[in-house]
Amino acid sequence: MKKFGDEYIRRFSSARIIEHWLNAIVFAVLVLTGLSQKFHDYSAAQWIVMTLGGIDATRIIHRYTGIIFAGLTIPHILAASFGFLFLKWQPSIIIHKNDFRDAIVNIRYYLGLEEHPARCDRFDYKQKFEYWGVVVGGILMIVTGALLWIPTVAARFLPGEFIPAAKALHTNEALLAFLVIVIWHIYNAVFSPEVFPIDTVMFTGKISKERMIHEHPLEYERLFGVSLKSPEDENAPEERTTT
Amino acid sequence: MLCRYVLGILLVLAAFPSNGFSAESSVSAADQTCMMCHSQEQDLTFDAGEKVSLKVNTEELGRSVHRIISCSDCHGFTADQHPKRTFKNHRQYTAFSAKVCTQCHVSHKTKIHEKLLSQSPKGTVCSDCHGFHSIQRARELSKGNHYCLNCHQRELSITFKTGEKQSIHINESILNISVHKNLSCTDCHFGFSSEEHPLRIFKSKRDYSIAMSESCRRCHFDKYSRTLEGIHYNLLTHGNLNAPVCTDCHGAHSVYSGRKEKLANAKKCERCHPEVYKVYTQSVHGGALILEHNEDVPICSDCHKAHDMTDPRTTDFRNAVPQMCGNCHADKDLMKKYGLSTAVVDTYLQDFHGVTLKFYKQQGKSVKPIAVCIDCHGIHDITKVNAPNAPMIKANLVKRCQKCHPAATANFPDSWVSHYKPSLKKAPLVYMINFGYKVFIPFMIIGLILQIILHIWRYAVNR
Repeated sequence: MKKFGDEYIRRFSSARIIEHWLNAIVFAVLVLTGLSQKFHDYSAAQWIVMTLGGIDATRIIHRYTGIIFAGLTIPHILAASFGFLFLKWQPSIIIHKNDFRDAIVNIRYYLGLEEHPARCDRFDYKQKFEYWGVVVGGILMIVTGALLWIPTVAARFLPGEFIPAAKALHTNEALLAFLVIVIWHIYNAVFSPEVFPIDTVMFTGKISKERMIHEHPLEYERLFGVSLKSPEDENAPEERTTT
Repeated sequence: MLCRYVLGILLVLAAFPSNGFSAESSVSAADQTCMMCHSQEQDLTFDAGEKVSLKVNTEELGRSVHRIISCSDCHGFTADQHPKRTFKNHRQYTAFSAKVCTQCHVSHKTKIHEKLLSQSPKGTVCSDCHGFHSIQRARELSKGNHYCLNCHQRELSITFKTGEKQSIHINESILNISVHKNLSCTDCHFGFSSEEHPLRIFKSKRDYSIAMSESCRRCHFDKYSRTLEGIHYNLLTHGNLNAPVCTDCHGAHSVYSGRKEKLANAKKCERCHPEVYKVYTQSVHGGALILEHNEDVPICSDCHKAHDMTDPRTTDFRNAVPQMCGNCHADKDLMKKYGLSTAVVDTYLQDFHGVTLKFYKQQGKSVKPIAVCIDCHGIHDITKVNAPNAPMIKANLVKRCQKCHPAATANFPDSWVSHYKPSLKKAPLVYMINFGYKVFIPFMIIGLILQIILHIWRYAVNR
């Protein structure tokens, strides 16, 4: 799967890249059509709704885009579960107790209390946070969205109060997801000084060796059977890149 | 002539020293003869038993424009000839005597004279309006409204082509209590004056009322132009002559301010809409109006408007309902008096139905009818929410939900938090979720932003 090129290492397959960008488009449409319903008092929201052809059109777009979102999320979960269980896929995205340690180490590092940043594996804790945010939040949005789409059917099996509760969950979770994506994900993928002007991994699927050593040293060590642990070794490749 | 005139005066003064004759009156010698008898109290009895006094008020006669002609000029009697005539009744006598006027007044001044006289002797005769011994020039009879009332205070009536009769007798006391008491008749009845009294012919009484209501717009143009958008005017233009015009609600000669009394206003509508009015009287609003004389409650015109009332069956009307109810129910001071919450309007507007409605209004068309206040609370039959068997009771409410949501079942009404802001008591689940996110979202976002700032700072330091 991963080829060692001159300077780049394959990190994501084309399927993952397509999946990411489909998700991004779907997310953008859902945010646009959803938040403009949530913030209906604002003129910008009203402009969006009116431009899309009115509230009914906006809702229809939102709901069918939601179906596409479910069509991306649910098969993803099923495929991943199947892969981990039966195909011995590496559970590299699973949250590990080391992730919490890494987060604390990194914050200490930022504050100057730690000599080196945390040494992460294939996915660092920031990436896992975003991934699980999308998966868990996504399931929540799919379930609550379905309840809100067919409230009369839902109220046959559930207490009536679950409908406004579903709305509260759906609308608050939407705002949270939107803010996390525009602040955290866009920072890490676009504005972070380490990737600015843009992180190209999700376009090319390849990561540079320097970034890999810097950001995913454990994975690098595992892939190439080398140890970057000693201070000399760890500093060596970095010096080469900076000069 | 002069000699006769002076002689007359002297004779009169000599003959009736104690009769209060004024110096300017003149009674000819021949008339003196008449007055010898007719200044005494005496009655004439007609066949029908009616009695009429034969005494002539000389003072009145002296002020009359006819003081220069003699009794016999009109009555035909002289001292020598005084034939006995018999009349069935007083009216027959009056009609007979009035004929003599046309011997001198050969042409009719106005059309109305011609018409009135053409109906003689059954109808009106000259003396009915102008008087007989007291006869004066018309313009001196009276000024202003009294000029018109001179005739119209009499029991006159007109007959329309359809055969309907309408009294044109005007009760002056009614005029004086109207808000128009300072106007003159001709302000509304334009085209009429002391000089002109055109004869107009209307098919029916209703036609006349409709035509007359056009007068109102000369002053009340704002109201009139609003009625043009109203359903009543629309009905009228489509041929429904029973649709009300100005005077049907405001009255004609008795017109008074429409704002004065709410109950009286509501009752105006009752005349044509009795069923709706009956339902209204049993509602919480109507009940308070009638039983408690509460003027805070809405009457018909508060929701339907007074002049530009539109068809309440239209979607536009329906979509305006939350605003109508909100006029009072969002008024904090007013609702405080009755211990009612003003959150009812906002909770509706912020919920699914309210938001949809808002956009439908912006879009200018409704894709489907959206539940508004009246769908749950009722229209004219609005009750208190805690009244026995109120429509808001869950079992009743589900039926209302089913009108638009046919699949709704018993639990479904609970999905509406009943105008309450979620709290630990009402909709605790919703409250907890909102509260949780209210804490969690800022916590998360501030945390992430701090990390970003630290990350940038570390990067800058490392360089």
